[in-house]
Amino acid sequence: MTRLAPWLYFAAAYCFIYLPVGALVLFSFQEGGLPVPPFKGPSLKWYAQVLGDDDLMDALLNSVVVAIGSGAGAVGLGFLAAYGLARHTLPGSVVLRGLLIAPLTVSYLIVGLGLLIVINRLGLGLSLWTAGIGHVVINLPLCFAIIYASMGAQQQNAERAARDLGAGEAQVVLLVTAPMLMPAILAAFFLSVTLSWDEFIIAFLLTRFDVTLPVEIWSLLRSGLSPALNAIGSFVFLISVMIVLALELLVFGRRRA
Amino acid sequence: MRNAARQTLRGWGFTAPALLWTLAFFIVPFLVMGAMSLATLDGRTLVWGIRFDNYAELAGKAYLWRAVVISVEITLTVTIVSVLLAYPLAWIIAFRVPQRWQRLALLLAILPFWTSYVVRSYAWLLVLAREGVVNQTLMGLGITSEPITIANTRFATVTGFVHFFVMLLTLTIYANLIQLSPNYRRAAMDLGANAFQTFVHVVLPLTLPGIITGAFLTFVLCIGDYVTPQILGGNTELTVPQVIMVQLGRRADFPLAAALAIVLMGIVTLAYLACARWLRLDRL
Amino acid sequence: MTAPVTFNGVSHWFGAFHALKNISLEIGEGEYVTLLGPSGCGKTTLLSVLGGFIEPTEGQVLIGGRDLTHVPPAKRPTTTVFQDYALFPHMSLRDNVAFGLRMAGVGRQERRARADEQLALVGLADAAGKRPHELSGGQRQRVALARALAVRPDVLLLDEPLGALDLKLRRAMQDELKDIQRKVGTTFVHVTHDQEEAMAIADRIVVMNAGRVEDEGAPARIYRKPATLFAAGFMGEMNRIPARASGTGVETPFGPVDITPPAEGALVLCLRPEAVKHANGTVLIGPATVRDAAFFGTHCRVHVVPQAAPDLTIVAHLPPDRVPAAGETLALTAEIDAISVFLAG
Repeated sequence: MTRLAPWLYFAAAYCFIYLPVGALVLFSFQEGGLPVPPFKGPSLKWYAQVLGDDDLMDALLNSVVVAIGSGAGAVGLGFLAAYGLARHTLPGSVVLRGLLIAPLTVSYLIVGLGLLIVINRLGLGLSLWTAGIGHVVINLPLCFAIIYASMGAQQQNAERAARDLGAGEAQVVLLVTAPMLMPAILAAFFLSVTLSWDEFIIAFLLTRFDVTLPVEIWSLLRSGLSPALNAIGSFVFLISVMIVLALELLVFGRRRA
Repeated sequence: MRNAARQTLRGWGFTAPALLWTLAFFIVPFLVMGAMSLATLDGRTLVWGIRFDNYAELAGKAYLWRAVVISVEITLTVTIVSVLLAYPLAWIIAFRVPQRWQRLALLLAILPFWTSYVVRSYAWLLVLAREGVVNQTLMGLGITSEPITIANTRFATVTGFVHFFVMLLTLTIYANLIQLSPNYRRAAMDLGANAFQTFVHVVLPLTLPGIITGAFLTFVLCIGDYVTPQILGGNTELTVPQVIMVQLGRRADFPLAAALAIVLMGIVTLAYLACARWLRLDRL
Repeated sequence: MTAPVTFNGVSHWFGAFHALKNISLEIGEGEYVTLLGPSGCGKTTLLSVLGGFIEPTEGQVLIGGRDLTHVPPAKRPTTTVFQDYALFPHMSLRDNVAFGLRMAGVGRQERRARADEQLALVGLADAAGKRPHELSGGQRQRVALARALAVRPDVLLLDEPLGALDLKLRRAMQDELKDIQRKVGTTFVHVTHDQEEAMAIADRIVVMNAGRVEDEGAPARIYRKPATLFAAGFMGEMNRIPARASGTGVETPFGPVDITPPAEGALVLCLRPEAVKHANGTVLIGPATVRDAAFFGTHCRVHVVPQAAPDLTIVAHLPPDRVPAAGETLALTAEIDAISVFLAG
């Protein structure tokens, strides 16, 4: 019995973890109009409806653009800052690092609210750009921390060697530092893309007419349970899982090998 | 000397873009929000100043301070339950699952973590709704004759949160468990400790900093979340983020929303101070 | 407090890897034995089998005459000093040392007194309230020893206990370990890959390679008359000189040597550097040209090429009174007692 108990717990935990996802995916194939038992089907009609929905597809495209754009922005800024702070002695560098990390400790809601207040005060309009700016704010600390942590002595020696052989600083950064840190840079990028792709509250507060996918899904939620929501939800889950698997295989898989 | 100065200047050049970004889009908005919390609304016009009307209103109106109490209660419940559920799972993966399967077990345990945030709460609604999986199963088994109300209750909110944070905490606690040298456990057993004693006297104390770090993270993310209580808890009892959104939407009362946000940050700061001794945020 | 150990035909596989191959070994009561060998030779696996951390695939482990093969570590009269010491970082030294007594249900007063006594034994009585991270490597090693001895085991197992220390400290700790073992009288089984360490402390050395025992015996015997070519090479520097069996003797590049060959065919003659002498040896090496020489205080280390075998370079430790110059010709001999012969391969 005591030998079996851990495995019973293990099984129960996985059931709990997969219960909502299972219900989500299963009833996305529902033939009827309500995503609740009994299950009738399978049918792909809700996927057809969702993929034919222009608003949803626009929102999906918007999400991809914002995720990749803000991910690239956050990684670029984070990498430069990590290089500057790791390789140059700057006065008050502890404070500077703390400043860069600070947004991590604040709720997304508060980050979004602060930006919304400023944008309103300045009389600027809300758009995908403002949501992207918000996503860079929340992802920059993560990118900085990940890349800064991986800037070790090994890279520094290679950088010194390159400089010794006549490379200028820009060449060193482009030809030595960035390639050597590629696993960390990729990890930071994929993480940023996934977080931005999934992020709701900042996008909700900072977009108006063009919205991202989570915001569009949110507006659909008002009309209650529908297999169409299951279909779009399952579709989004599939995309997220593919990004995560790509990260696992490309970045961590290579590092282990 | 001039060379050193040039070096420093270059360092600033690399660091400045990120610093300016954080300053312009985080620090400044944050300060403006702080100032906003001290401003007041006269009809629909904003009057800047240093007045504590919003905070007074917060203390005076029951539905506002109730929201603070509800948020704290829900968050503490979620944090404690999540840790208690995640620790055994992380332990089983780290010490019972054969090593070659551990990475897969862990990946599977956190895969639903990547369901879209909004979709995940919706998925729980499917399960917990009046016509949902749980009620249909209970009635099908003859345990209940009438559907029971689970959705739109605090229980539903807590369940949705716990689901999310069990995955997060399983990951962080697992990472803590496997970085313990196996010799600690061997040494304890070698000196006569049984499995339970080894856990209580050695494994638990050594993983406590990791647990507290994970619990703090749970606290921060949970108390600031709007989506889960809004979808699963409904409007029966509002949390602070829900009240903030109400102020922004219907009433456009930005000063009060800002004051609520400041209170939220105050609670997080208190939580931070309470567990600062054990926190290792640099290890995240 | 002390007990003999018997391994009876112990074999172990890790998957397809055959880590221990039919090991039978006797360790006497109160003996200090070292298991010596290169990494991967199975010495640590054998220690883990003795400590109960690994159940061997085949064979038996007897401690004090009792078959304990399938008894878990907690219930064995053995304790281990781990390579990384595994001191509990959240406990004071006293609590670390008292841990085993606490698990055994010894009362607070008594375990405190006994922990302090053990700490005094290793010279750390004053530091009882400190935490492990406040200590140096050598001090941690002592605490680990005190903790393992506090439960009064019959057999103490030490897994490369000095591996993390620098050379000077390691030599000092060797003497201390030996001293403590003499005081407590417990059987010590000590795993190391450092043959000097093994010679410094062991009553008996067990040389292991590829899951087998190559040789076992007193350090001097293994050094002078090793049982196998591997044991000869692992116990210290030596010259390998190709040779052939010829009748009842051995034919070398310098001429015949009067040793009974182990078999017909190609042989290897092993000669320790310090066995090479200027004169008066029983075996003639003959004139040899000095390639280079270095002064080491106790001896001169010289590379010489014997004129009889110009393809061969021999290392010799000659008296330090004069450093030979490169190109100089020396007349060299060797002691026959210091020569062993093995089958080549």
